[in-house]
This record gives sequence, C-alpha cells and structure tokens, in this order.
Amino acid sequence: MKTFNPDAMGEKLLRRFAGGTSRRGILARLGLALVAAPVFPVLPVSRASAAKPDRSPEAKTTFARNAQSKDDTKCDYWRYCAIDGSLCSCCGGAVNRCPPGAEHSPVSWVGTCINPDDGRAYLIAYRDCCGKSYCNKCDCDGTDRETQLYVPQLNNDVIWCFGTTSMEYHCSTAVLVGTA
Amino acid sequence: MMKIQGKPSLSVMLKASAAAVCALGLLGGMPAAHAADPLQPDPELEAVTLPAPKPSWVFVERGFVVPGNAIYDTDTGKMLGLVEASTLSDLALDPGGKAFYVSESIWTKGWRGTRQDMITVYDANTLKLKTEIAIPGRILIGGRKFNFVIADAGKTAYVYNLDPASSVNMVDLAKGKFVKKIELPGCASLMPVTGVGFSALCSDGSLATVKTAGAKPEITRSAPFFSATNDPIFDNFGYDGVKQQAVFLTYTGQVYTAKLGATPTISEPFSIQAAAGVAPADTKPLDVHWYPGARQGLAYHLGTGHAFVLMHTGEYWTHKESGTEVWELDVAAKKVVRRIPLETPASAIAVTQEASPKLVLSTEGGEGDRSALLILDAKTGEQKFKLERSGGGVLRTLEP
Repeated sequence: MKTFNPDAMGEKLLRRFAGGTSRRGILARLGLALVAAPVFPVLPVSRASAAKPDRSPEAKTTFARNAQSKDDTKCDYWRYCAIDGSLCSCCGGAVNRCPPGAEHSPVSWVGTCINPDDGRAYLIAYRDCCGKSYCNKCDCDGTDRETQLYVPQLNNDVIWCFGTTSMEYHCSTAVLVGTA
Repeated sequence: MMKIQGKPSLSVMLKASAAAVCALGLLGGMPAAHAADPLQPDPELEAVTLPAPKPSWVFVERGFVVPGNAIYDTDTGKMLGLVEASTLSDLALDPGGKAFYVSESIWTKGWRGTRQDMITVYDANTLKLKTEIAIPGRILIGGRKFNFVIADAGKTAYVYNLDPASSVNMVDLAKGKFVKKIELPGCASLMPVTGVGFSALCSDGSLATVKTAGAKPEITRSAPFFSATNDPIFDNFGYDGVKQQAVFLTYTGQVYTAKLGATPTISEPFSIQAAAGVAPADTKPLDVHWYPGARQGLAYHLGTGHAFVLMHTGEYWTHKESGTEVWELDVAAKKVVRRIPLETPASAIAVTQEASPKLVLSTEGGEGDRSALLILDAKTGEQKFKLERSGGGVLRTLEP
C-alpha cells in the first residue's frame, strides 16, 4: 500500500532536478542573468522625475545643449554628461569596451544623458576599466547631476574598480543601459 | 696629392692647455692655490630635518598622478620637504605636531598582488617612517578632506571606507591599533565630534551622528535639511574642531552652519550671492549666476569665522568649475566682505590659520602642464608668491 511519503517525494524531485541540471548549467544561467541584467533598465534612477520629460533646449543643461553624437573620443560626446577620467575610446578601447588587458568593473556610477539625435534621456553606466595604470589621455569631467560622496552612485570621483582583480584605474567607458 | 687635414691629437691639445695654465699663473704673479684654501670635501651627508610644524605651512597633495604631499612655507615660498604617500592617499596632521599620518593603499606587486591598507606614520621632524597601522580597507578617491580625520586630540582616527558598502574604520592612534568597523549606510564625509565620535553628511539630506564609545555604535540622524541630489552640500566643507562647528555650502550657494554635538543643530540657510548683494542662484538651466565650485572650493579661517569661497559665473551643474574670484564671507554676519578677482582660475583653496592669514590657491594646469601654487595675503589679496609647477589636489594647513 502506498502511503504519503514526503521524504521519498522530495528525494525523487531532487534526483530528477539533479539529473536534468548541472552545476555548470546553473552557473551559465546565473552568468547569463548577470550579463543580461544591465540590458534591462534595472536602475530606475530619476524615473519619477522623468514622468513628463521636457527636452526643449530651455530645459537642457549646458552639456546637453552642446552635446554631439558623432565622435566618442571628445568630451562633448552625449554619453559623457557625467563621466570623469580618461576616455577608453582614446586608450585602445571603445565607448563601451575596455582597452586590451584591462578589466571591466562590474559596478559603476550612473548618469542620465540626453541623446541629441532622438531627444531621449538614457541611463548611462560609467564602468571603469581596471588593472592597468592611468591612461591619462582625453581626460573629461562631465558634471550633469553629479553629486557628492554621500551619494556615491552619482559621484564620478570614486574609483569604481570594485570586484575586479586589481583596483588600479585605467580609463572609463560609457555603457548605454536603456531609456531613463 | 691631397693633404688630409687631421684634427689635432688629444696629447697636443693637453700640452697646449697645460702651457696656457702655466702662462696664466705666471701672468697673475701668484699661483691660484695661494689665493685661498681649496674647497673642503663635503662632510658625511645627513638629511635635513624639519622644525616643529608651523601655522604658515601648507601641505599640497600633488594630484592624481604624482604621489606625495609637498610641504611649503607660505612665509618664504620655499618647499621644505615631502610627506611620502601613495596616489589616492589622505594626509592628516597630528594636532600635537609630532607625526604626519597617511591613510593609503598599496599592493604587494605595484599595481597588482595583495592589497594592503594602512595608516603610515611619519615622524614630523625627520619625515622618516615611524610605524604602520593595518586597517581593513578605505575608499579610493582623490580630492577629499574628510575621508581621514583625527579626533580626541590626536588619539583616534576615523577612515572612511567604500567597498562599495559604506563604513568607517576606527583606529586608536595612541595604541597604534585598528579598533572596529562601523557600518554607515548612505553617509560620508566625516567631522569629529568631541566626546561623541563623528558626524557625517547623508544621502537623505540629514546629518548623521555616530556615538562610537559603546560596544555597538549608536547612529542618530537629524531631520533632512538639504537635497543631496538637487542642491548637494560640497563635501569639502568648513570645520572648526575647537568650536565644534561646521560650515556647509551647497551647489547653489546656500550656507548652513551646524553646531556639532550628540544632538547637532543646523541653522537656517542664507544665500552667499545675496550676502554679496547679487542675485541668489538657482538650479534652472540657462540661468547664469555666480556659483560656488571647484575641487576644494571653500577654506575656513577659524579665528575670524570667515570663509573664503571660489566662485565662477555660469549655469547650474558647473560645480567643479574653477573659481575666477575668491569671496570672503563673514559667516556670522552673513556678508561677503571682499571679492578677490583671480588672474588664473583656481581649483583649490586653503587658508593658513594665522592671525594674519594667507590664502593658498592651486591654479588650473593646462594640457600636460602642472598647475601653479599662489600665495596671497588674505587681507589685501596681494600675491606674495607664485610657485610654478607646484599646485595639486587637496591643500591642508595646520589647525588648532
């Protein structure tokens, strides 16, 4: 006679689960989720205030009024509205990629910048490239909505090389996360 | 046959020179050696030592790339020495004048290897290493005065840490030992509070006060009084350890004074622009005003209660722009008593705590050009020294 045996049921479930998965598989899925995370606008910074966005020239900062979208090796490139440091695009990397041998910091400070082509505000993650000495080329310092150390995620002076092998700062990228 | 014109040989030249020297000696009537005794060899070399630190000294952090803190005497314009330090380190001065403390981070293999965080202690007289106090971490950032502060008349140090959670490491300087880590979520920029611990500015617009003596630190917060995202307080503010008072300045130029203590009190703000008789500034785009700014834009003279603020004209969100004028603000009287125009915009300002104070300014450096250090008479604005290639990051002077 079959009796209710939660222990056996649990074992069966776990065995089935274990047979159909691997540690690597879980790691891969977790990794995918981690990599994909920045694609979703998971950091709704300034969302509330962006409810009724006014993108007229009168509402834009000096930086936004003068920003361009053609040359990402110049400080006035639109994504750099709150960047600070050397541009990775001048150091052998790209606007969103580290130069050879440098390591992307998994965390970053953020900015909300307006694209001059479509007038939309985008959330930009300024991810430092780490593990090499200071590039010291194309030094830029965008200060739109940049605040002080007690709001570190909006402060661009902090060395954001957390979670990397080395905390030596090399240069900064400007990764587009999504619309703000 | 072509004759090859050869160069005179070395021996010929030597002979000619020797003859000339002899002839000169004869012409002079007396050999040169008899005119005066020859110079004596230098004695065994010993490094120069420093006198006790003086209020006229300024310590100049040499910036993001060049490490170390250069010491200048504002009376003479001379560099006196260098307090060794790694890049992104913080300097603090022992109120007793016996030591200089450097809160720093180094790695065992240069820029890689095992990270080591410590307070490095240098003898104030010889500038030689005295000891190291290991700490479990500290923030890496440039240009801040209040990430490493000394409290309790030199007995305690507080080191701010961001990893990226926010905390403070408490260090017993007398015993040379790390004491404890205090979690401090959402707050930074430390000001020692006598008999209590420290206060810090917070992202909710409040001032947190931390009692550090007990087994479990006790954190209380004031009511929020400023907007940390719309009109933040510059984290290089004015601090008076003796009167236990802080002077806060916001991006738009609002000035608050805080009486520090277990329960701090914060004044109603006033506008620095209104105090100068010009239009108060706001946060609206396209509105051009005088704004405070720069990397270290405020210096506070404790004896007079006057703040010296770097000001520039422009729109809002230009808070890092260098100052084209220094405004001397009598904080208690809420009045700007002097405006000093600058020939070259300045990114940092300090004031010596002398009875007749001097202003120290670091000017903007161009591409590949290190900035200059200007030393002005604070009463007249007259420039006393311009030291080329001597400017830098945080400027510090001795405080009582």
